[in-house]
Amino acid sequence: MKLNTKTMKLSLGAAGIAVGVFGAMSLSARPPFTDAQLAQQQQDLLEVVNKGRDEWHGSNPQMSSNGLACGNCHPDAAASNPNTFPKFVPQLNAVAPMREMINWCIVHPQDGKALDPNGPDMIALEAYAVYLYRGEKLQPGYTLPEPPIAVKSGVGFPAKPSGIGVDK
Amino acid sequence: MSDSKDLSRRHFLGLAGKAGLATVAARAIGVNLGLVEILSAQTGKGAVTPFSFAIITDSHLFSIPDHKFDKSLADAVAQVNALTPAVDFVMYTGDIAQNGKEDQLVKGKKIMSALKAPLKVIPGEHDWYLDMGKAWNGLFGKETWSFDHKGVHFIGLNSILVRDFWTGAGLTAEQRMSTMEMLESPIAGPWGVREAQLDFLEKDVKKLPANTPVVIFTHSPLWDYYPRWNFQTEDAPQIRQILAKFDHVTSLHGHVHQTVFNQIGNLSSAGALSTSWPWPYPPVQLAYPGSQMTQSDPANTKDGMGSQVISFDASAAGLVQYEPFANSLTPWLKAGVKV
Repeated sequence: MKLNTKTMKLSLGAAGIAVGVFGAMSLSARPPFTDAQLAQQQQDLLEVVNKGRDEWHGSNPQMSSNGLACGNCHPDAAASNPNTFPKFVPQLNAVAPMREMINWCIVHPQDGKALDPNGPDMIALEAYAVYLYRGEKLQPGYTLPEPPIAVKSGVGFPAKPSGIGVDK
Repeated sequence: MSDSKDLSRRHFLGLAGKAGLATVAARAIGVNLGLVEILSAQTGKGAVTPFSFAIITDSHLFSIPDHKFDKSLADAVAQVNALTPAVDFVMYTGDIAQNGKEDQLVKGKKIMSALKAPLKVIPGEHDWYLDMGKAWNGLFGKETWSFDHKGVHFIGLNSILVRDFWTGAGLTAEQRMSTMEMLESPIAGPWGVREAQLDFLEKDVKKLPANTPVVIFTHSPLWDYYPRWNFQTEDAPQIRQILAKFDHVTSLHGHVHQTVFNQIGNLSSAGALSTSWPWPYPPVQLAYPGSQMTQSDPANTKDGMGSQVISFDASAAGLVQYEPFANSLTPWLKAGVKV
């Protein structure tokens, strides 16, 4: 019975993947999109950003063994500077994308296990940081220390200004 | 720590009003104030016997045994114990714990029991919102206090009080705590000291003469530095109003995990280095940009952290000297920050 259930789940999973692949292939990537399509795309993005916000603040136990999360040193993704990557990262002695810097922070200050650089958790973390930096100009490489951004209301924050910050 | 001898001296000088009169009166009645007191009295400010104290803050201890932050706090204790001349007391301006757990507070108290000088403490939000201060009060006593020391009036307030956001939302104690742990959480709203402590403050300073040097400790700054991260205290304007009668007030605070200085009216403010991690500087233009320390190196686990020592000379001039674990200071900061 267990085997059957497992087999059935595997079959259903495979079918789901197949539907997903064909479904994705059937989507047109050419504008104009309908309002409904745009709304769906935005909702999908914000869901990933929201997942990234939670992981940035400690929801993924893989990322830390000492209790520290990204948000401890980078509130509002401050000083994470996603708009400056790829750049030479001294800790890695190489030009690297942001995801490798995130993994460095996970492994060293947070004493956790590195994420799959192409996995959904890393995509979510990047999406969160980049979303907060939306509108900032791209500035690859180290220049002067980048001042943190003044965060507008965004995912995870009230649609209306909180009344306690610069987003008034 | 309350020094009734010094209190009576200060009151004596305050009642005498003019410094010269105080000196004459002291001589006339044969009181030996000593050279230091006479010199300071002649400046027109309250009489201060030079002394220093240290600030350690924001250790954010976890329950995990042998956590790196335990060692960092112990390093700050050793750093302060090694100061020459020795400090008269050590002030802790909040956030001993990370998650408000009693074992974290107990661990912090135990590490700081190695301090040679007496310890004074106020709470931070990380110490408070799991049990609304029950464990903290049991370990450290009242969170609102004042005392006099060598001519300076010291006040400690709990500045992390928020309006009840948990009862209506049906949050557990753990959920309430984790909401407060997130620096940029918009849910809890602004912090403040609230009415009872404003009343305490008003009564506490009512009879003090205007030339009394006053130092006030809070976890959060008494100016609107960056309210989104609660680098503010909502009722700081009322606090500043109550303290407006003094010639000079020094506000020393934790929470910001960084060096920062500001001046509003008669109130000088200085933030403190933490022993846990440095916060980035928020996106605001500092009035005193030299008070911003150098950018921290994430590969150096001690960079941007440390302790600080504050000294008062006989003319009641205060000086904050940051004592970073690594090389974090600009020349402006290395010279000491006059508060």
